Amino acid sequence: MITLEQKKFQEIEKMTKGYNPLLVLGCETCAAMSFAGGQQQVAELASAIRIARKTSGQEGEVLEDAVARQCEPEFVDLIADKVGGCDAVLSIACGAGVQLFAERFQDKVILPGCNTTFLGVTEELGVWSERCAGCGNCILDKTAGLCPIARCSKQLLNGPCGGSMNGKCEISKEVDCVWQLIIDRLTRLNRLEMLEEIFPVKDWSPAGHGGPRKMVREDLKS
Amino acid sequence: MKSGSNLERILESGRFSVTAEAGPPKGSSPKVIQRKGELLKLCCDALNVTDNQTAIVRMSSLSGCVLLKELGVEPVLQMVVRDRNRLSLQSDILGAAALGIRNVLCLSGDHQKFGNHPTAKGVYDIDSIQFIQMVKTMRDEHKFLNAEEISGDVPFFIGAAANPFADPFEFRVIRLAKKVSAGADFIQTQGIFDMAKFVEWMKMVRDRGLDEKTHILAGLIPIKSVGMARYMRSNVSGLSVPKEIVDRMADAKEPKEEGVKICLETIEQLKEVDGVHGVHIMAVAWEDIVPRIVEEAGLMPRPVV
Amino acid sequence: MMTGNELSTEIKYPPCKLACPIQTDVREYVQLIAERRFEEAFATIRKQNPLPRVCGRICTHPCETACKRGQVEEPIAIAALKRFASDGLWRDQYEAALPGKSTGHKVAVVGSGPAGLAAAHDLALLGHGVTIFEALPVLGGMLRVGVPEYRLPNDVLDEEIHTIVDLGIEVKTGVRIGKEIKLTDLFEQGYKAVFMGIGAHRDRKLHIAGEDKLKGVVSAVSFLRGVNQAEKPRVGVRVAVIGGGNTAIDSARSALRLGAEGVHIVYRRSREEMPAAKEEIEEAAHEGVQMSYLTSPLEILGRDGKVSALKCIKNELGDPDDSGRRSPKPVPGSEFSFDVDMVIAAIGQAPDSSLVAEEIEVTERRKRIIVDGPYTLVTTQPGVFAGGDAVTGPATVVEAISAGKRAAISIDSYLRGESPATVESAGPTETERLSSVIIEKTTKFERCLKTSLPADNRVKGFDEVEAVLSEDVAVKEALRCLHCFLGARLDKEKCISCLTCVRVCPLGIPTTNKMGEITIDPFACQACGTCALECPVRAIDISLDSRAQMAQKIEKGMAESHQPDPVIVGFFDLHGNFGSSDMERLRQGHPNVLPVMVFGLRRVDTFDVLKAFECGADGVFLAGCAPDTDPFPEATDRVKRRMAHARTLLDALGIDGARLEVCDMPEQGIVDKELIDGLIQRIKEAGQARSE
Repeated sequence: MITLEQKKFQEIEKMTKGYNPLLVLGCETCAAMSFAGGQQQVAELASAIRIARKTSGQEGEVLEDAVARQCEPEFVDLIADKVGGCDAVLSIACGAGVQLFAERFQDKVILPGCNTTFLGVTEELGVWSERCAGCGNCILDKTAGLCPIARCSKQLLNGPCGGSMNGKCEISKEVDCVWQLIIDRLTRLNRLEMLEEIFPVKDWSPAGHGGPRKMVREDLKS
Repeated sequence: MKSGSNLERILESGRFSVTAEAGPPKGSSPKVIQRKGELLKLCCDALNVTDNQTAIVRMSSLSGCVLLKELGVEPVLQMVVRDRNRLSLQSDILGAAALGIRNVLCLSGDHQKFGNHPTAKGVYDIDSIQFIQMVKTMRDEHKFLNAEEISGDVPFFIGAAANPFADPFEFRVIRLAKKVSAGADFIQTQGIFDMAKFVEWMKMVRDRGLDEKTHILAGLIPIKSVGMARYMRSNVSGLSVPKEIVDRMADAKEPKEEGVKICLETIEQLKEVDGVHGVHIMAVAWEDIVPRIVEEAGLMPRPVV
Repeated sequence: MMTGNELSTEIKYPPCKLACPIQTDVREYVQLIAERRFEEAFATIRKQNPLPRVCGRICTHPCETACKRGQVEEPIAIAALKRFASDGLWRDQYEAALPGKSTGHKVAVVGSGPAGLAAAHDLALLGHGVTIFEALPVLGGMLRVGVPEYRLPNDVLDEEIHTIVDLGIEVKTGVRIGKEIKLTDLFEQGYKAVFMGIGAHRDRKLHIAGEDKLKGVVSAVSFLRGVNQAEKPRVGVRVAVIGGGNTAIDSARSALRLGAEGVHIVYRRSREEMPAAKEEIEEAAHEGVQMSYLTSPLEILGRDGKVSALKCIKNELGDPDDSGRRSPKPVPGSEFSFDVDMVIAAIGQAPDSSLVAEEIEVTERRKRIIVDGPYTLVTTQPGVFAGGDAVTGPATVVEAISAGKRAAISIDSYLRGESPATVESAGPTETERLSSVIIEKTTKFERCLKTSLPADNRVKGFDEVEAVLSEDVAVKEALRCLHCFLGARLDKEKCISCLTCVRVCPLGIPTTNKMGEITIDPFACQACGTCALECPVRAIDISLDSRAQMAQKIEKGMAESHQPDPVIVGFFDLHGNFGSSDMERLRQGHPNVLPVMVFGLRRVDTFDVLKAFECGADGVFLAGCAPDTDPFPEATDRVKRRMAHARTLLDALGIDGARLEVCDMPEQGIVDKELIDGLIQRIKEAGQARSE
């Protein structure tokens, strides 16, 4: 899933100041699963903004809504009427959702209520961690199913750097050295010799370094 | 004086300046740069050394600058943010200062996709405007980007690029203003073929008073052939080559002569444009022609200030 | 398979209600008691049951047998709670429904037992003119003459009967229909319909030698009838009671009270098969009644025309019979005798239908009145309906009330010329079983202890044995309710399979399949609310303190609040150890506090806290309960973390997170005075700071 976190309330309050009415728009997929943009958070955030406005003597109505996914035009278009009556929309979706909204509603102010954090997994309720950097060229077959692009601080491809100590990365004792994990796993699988070959230089163009990415499936598109 | 460079002195004295460009080789021999330095030594006030231009790997710009300096030619160190992060940019600035380089041109750089290592990671840690600001702070406040103190002086005459022909046109002058307020002492523009558009842009520049705050050197690219004209017209984004230029090159019996003629005509027109303080001649792979153009444009000899 | 999540389309009844013959809203009144809304609890009971105080005492409470809590440790003491709710003085506040507009029809109700009283009550409410005909000089039927006073005091019965008769019912006692007046004569007297609720007052005979000729052999019905009169019958020194039903127990316990030195119950099967209520058997044993199981009487022996001994034979259990119970088989050679001077035969009763048998058809052997169905209750005589023990043979008071209520509906249809209702009974369904994992994870709470007279004192007279529960005990007992079907409702259309509910449920009730389809068993769920509050898309709501109810509590409370500034919303966990006197103390000591009662602090969301501030509150506190009274301590722990988050948000809002307090309920009494004082102080200071 894509993980998100809500921006600090102070930041949200500042950016939404003066917009009346303001629509707080949730996104019921990744944002909801990140507890950042589901209906529950919409209600909470809207309520907080209302209180903040009231206490600072500002006018302003705060509306609430949510769609299944803000990254799909059909969903976004369904709230056109409500959007029409608003001064601005505070989207608590990922950056993709905010931008699609901007594209669908050319004349409407759109504000981001969330920061998109990463592509990750739920370790347990309330704990997520990064697993995939979306590099567009998966190498997990060569690294025991653990990704050094997403999880090595230096994105090294040929084993741990000199900073790996006690299984931890040099940047923090809280961060596992993914290369240690890769080595442990390959040892268990009895395939450590895989790491003896020099890993060739990686093609970063599909990772976004070749410019903004687009994916087209000729068989699907109309 | 901010840097005391020759280029700065000439521009500050109000004289019409000439700069040119020397691309380093795809090899380790110093001779290429040395030859270009000798060739252009007398006809320009400073010589730009490009930094992995069009994302093709070449000898480093800093080394080229040092080689030129040894010849007594004043170099302009071109630096792109494509290949270096803020650490590397700052350390190279310090190194350049130590080596006596006094002019720097702060650029974004062509995308790595266009070059000969299209699968490379682009750095783009900071952008060109942030880079200008960073160098200015290093120079004027003796401070790194993180506000830590720098020991010693960092005397640079800071340059930036401007492209009057890119879109959206209205924003181009705003971007120039940002560069100027970030600290650009001089501007070298994209090669000019569409004089009308350049004149229009310059009017906007003057309207904002930017010509008073920075020195604008108008870019020139001598055209060698009709093929080059056509290529630049259709394939190089950010260049505006009017059809009549292509037609003139196509109709010419001696295209090279026609190219020189176009270039000289352009210089004559530029001299008449208020706020243009010089020209920057980018004769890529045709450096030999530069002395003749400067001579025939009546810009020789170069002043000594 | 029915997953049960589609509550919006299908209403599921809790097992207690399903088990009740009159479908009492047990769960609702238990909940109201837990909330100390006793008047409303009584109203809930009374609207379905015209004899609540009777049922609170002698109902066999099938609801308790069905109760889900019973699978965990012991069922909720529902009958005791019903008595608590019905005995309280608040019952005087109850505004009973008034009789409907007169229909002009007259209906005769024959018999004034629970069936007759219930029928008369409901018919009167429907606007029909009702006359009760009672053969005995007093009203109440078996309730009056069959149930000893130590279980059902006369004044209680009197009050219930008065309330019913006060609806404008005419009463004719000492009139035996079939004798003084023929059944069909009633129609000539202008009655348009007759309900026969004559009960089963004729004892079945033992059919053993000595039964008819010896002095000292009595039937239980006549014995108990005597017991319920001012002039009590004499009893022997050693009494044998034959039979295993409630009548046998009542007879035995009454005999003890009348001075018998030894009372033996002789029952042919084992304790397992004994039809009497478990508690009754226990109470009897406690008082000193001896039990002889697997024993059948063979002969009553006599001396000088009086009973001298009972000859019995031991049994063993054979194969199950028609009733499903294992039938006793005599063990050859196991005969024995013991000395007794009185034998009470309590092996069952049959309706005394001989007087009307010419006019309506009755069964051949047991003389039960034949009706065409359990909802229509139509006899073979047009316009005559029947129900209760007269139709079914001896059954329970609540079944009789049920029959009376059903008859009223059927008679009403008949009088309005409509075809009688032909509702098919769903029948009592078996309560679903909880998994052993859920049972293990469920926090156990002991069932309340009944307060009863010491056994020594009891047998000295006919004072009521059991005392009504005290308020605090009743509330604590009501809080044991597991809220069947009031828990999580999942809106599958909104669900995004985020698995939060699966992860947070303290009982592990939500499950998922590979495709992320979540199932929440509505029976197993105990409405702790954790999943609903954590669900990021609000796909789950809880019926108990739903999101809307919480919002309403806060909004309504704030709108109607007369609290002086600063106004503090206090969320109180109902499981907290405090009583109404504590609340009164709070009101007086802290008039600023607006109390919002909730079924667990788990139900309080950040949103609710914000809502309180949005509605104008100056401060909020959450008062929990002592950990040992909390059914879901782990889930409550989440609340504290949730409130830490809320504080951060309040800080960001410039409200000052310190205006939100969370505390456990102290062992004694209400929330710490210092806590509220401190909160008020901080709010005042902050208020000053802002105005400066």
